[in-house]
Amino acid sequence: MMISQRGYFIENLRKEQMLQLLAKGKRLDDRGLLDYRPLKIEVGVIEKAEGSAKVSLGDTQVIAGVKVEVDRPFPDTPDKGLLIVNAEVLPLASAYSEPGPPDEDAIELARVVDRGVRESEMIGLEKLVIEPGRYVYAVFVDVNVLNIDGNLFDATSYAVVAALATAKYRKYELTENGELKATDKYEKLPITTVPISITAFRIGDVILLDPNADEETLVEARLTFTFDGRGNLCAAQMGGSKGFSKDQILKIIEIAKLKAEEIGGLLRRQIGYG
Amino acid sequence: MDDKLGKLIDEEGRRVDGRKFNELRPIKIEVGVLKNADGSAYIEHGGNKIVVAIYGPKETHPKFMALPDRAILRCRYHMAPYSTEERKPPQPSRREIELSKVIREALEPAVKLEEFPRTAIDVYIEVLQSDGGSRGAGITAASVALADAGIPMRDLVVGCAAGKVDGQIVLDLNDLEDKEGEADLPVAIMPNIGQITLLQMDGLLTIDEFKKALDLAIEGCRKIHQIQREALYRKYFGTSEAEGK
Amino acid sequence: MGVVKRKYVLPGDLVVEGNYQIISNAYRIGNKIYSMKVGMAEITNGKVRVIPLRGPYTPRVDDLVLGIIVDYAPLAWTVDINSYFEAFLPAQNVFGKNFNPEVHDLTKKFKIGDLIAAKIVSFERGKDPMLTVSGPGLGKLTRGELVRISPVKVPRLIGKKGSMSKMIEKATGCELIIGQNGLVFVRGPPEGIIKAIKAIKFVEEQAHTSGLTQNIQNFLKGGG
Repeated sequence: MMISQRGYFIENLRKEQMLQLLAKGKRLDDRGLLDYRPLKIEVGVIEKAEGSAKVSLGDTQVIAGVKVEVDRPFPDTPDKGLLIVNAEVLPLASAYSEPGPPDEDAIELARVVDRGVRESEMIGLEKLVIEPGRYVYAVFVDVNVLNIDGNLFDATSYAVVAALATAKYRKYELTENGELKATDKYEKLPITTVPISITAFRIGDVILLDPNADEETLVEARLTFTFDGRGNLCAAQMGGSKGFSKDQILKIIEIAKLKAEEIGGLLRRQIGYG
Repeated sequence: MDDKLGKLIDEEGRRVDGRKFNELRPIKIEVGVLKNADGSAYIEHGGNKIVVAIYGPKETHPKFMALPDRAILRCRYHMAPYSTEERKPPQPSRREIELSKVIREALEPAVKLEEFPRTAIDVYIEVLQSDGGSRGAGITAASVALADAGIPMRDLVVGCAAGKVDGQIVLDLNDLEDKEGEADLPVAIMPNIGQITLLQMDGLLTIDEFKKALDLAIEGCRKIHQIQREALYRKYFGTSEAEGK
Repeated sequence: MGVVKRKYVLPGDLVVEGNYQIISNAYRIGNKIYSMKVGMAEITNGKVRVIPLRGPYTPRVDDLVLGIIVDYAPLAWTVDINSYFEAFLPAQNVFGKNFNPEVHDLTKKFKIGDLIAAKIVSFERGKDPMLTVSGPGLGKLTRGELVRISPVKVPRLIGKKGSMSKMIEKATGCELIIGQNGLVFVRGPPEGIIKAIKAIKFVEEQAHTSGLTQNIQNFLKGGG
């Protein structure tokens, strides 16, 4: 691993080698352009948390934890529970990950994953109300990246979705005096769907999925599509500074739609959903 | 105080999790769990789940922090928001900052810092789940991670706590005992050299109780040291220590 | 010829007691010598050394290293040599004493991302090591593949008088340029390169086991 703090660095020879292979539709690890690395999801790894999931996508490792607390609702949505998604790339994750508050990359990551969960209405927030205007459940999802090897957006999204889909929270009720009381009942969060995120990357004219860190050094632009599990798009985010042509975007949507079905099935199987 | 009928220890001397006064919780250590880090380790100690990454030695940034004759050891002890009963905000708390310092000071005597002047060695301890005694478990895993990174060390470092619960001196307090007990004494040692590198106490102990607790904690450290050795033997020599001789 | 005694050691383990000379990775308290690393302790002829299984690369004068150009300043290139300091290659070393930054363009010789073979000219503790590319076989490396291994495994990959690396070269038809810093350049026919890289990784994984030479021979004969 390059100890240089300049960011992840690979030699030009390796870059040329990868570019030559990509021109023939090949990659160094023998994957096809649209193949994901082995995806492994373990849920319930943090028993104290209401929900948790550890995702390994190749060597990219991410852990998401769900904590559910009772809180006041937002003033403009008195009849809805709260959902807060936070992401942190830990200094453990790579030689150039610094400790400190989330930078613009980590904040973008958190917000894009949040968008996918929120816009798909994965969680029925109206069902997370104890007393409208006064007491609602607040669902916190915190994601920690433990090791970076490419494709953080997808790995993070799968961890968040898996943790939420398998979370169990303690129910509270109101006493006759209108006070909050903990019960000993636990329930799964009201899950309506499982959103799936697929990120496509452009290297020159080649579109590929799930690059590792070496391949990401060649990436000129990325495009994340999140599907709501009902056939609709519920979030999109372009990143990188070189953009896409319209044709490429249309091509990517088709690729992503098919891939979302495949990955969605895998994810649902591994977490025992539906 | 009627210690035999306390709610944390029953008449037979069994604690809430069934342990006797001098029993450790189950411990498991894995070496080399993160690909990018120069060295890494993962520990489960009771309900504690902690991952440690080492980066270094490497150039010190910012440069003015570098020392001319040795490396600096930097340590960050951090608890994930989902690691505790109630969610903990991600920003470092005063407790985490204090623990980062005492853990660094517990590891420093063991590391041969003079070998790498002007560099920094970073120790990142992330508590994924916390269950009492996390600083000791963090130290135990950190020293294994340092060995995994091939950083020269005078000795491994091991951490363990003892304390007083329901009037009795016991080893390795879990979360409940830590919160409800009368005293907590975390300790870390370099086992082969025999030096104590971390000592903290809070609560109420007589001098005699302190001595008993200290002895018990050191005994616990030595037992955990064997688990460290086994983990390193398995990873590096492909055998258990007993077989390898 | 002395008796060689070998044993596995961890940091802090007592290697031996007595008046021995410490060669590497051990330290003395009074009469006792302790290991500082995870590795194999060797006691022979009054000398103690610990061969580590992991560890960073510490630059030594005259070492052959492979490095990647990561930056350049008016008077030198900055080279990443997989150590805890970046190294620098003075422009004068390449352009000669008449080097003039206003006339000579550093990037014409070495660009960022280029791989070079160099020798360490000087290294003072706490300062960046200085490199030279003057010499046979030094300079930019092209047409081949870079493999990284742990620097502490390099002696095993080279072997006694180069026996291990020569064996791999012969069996694969490749040339191996081995940097002391763990970077290895492999040049040759495509299938040969694939086989050579597998052999190199094999040596890295099994460096500390006995019978490695035999195992590698079998591996190389067996068609990879």
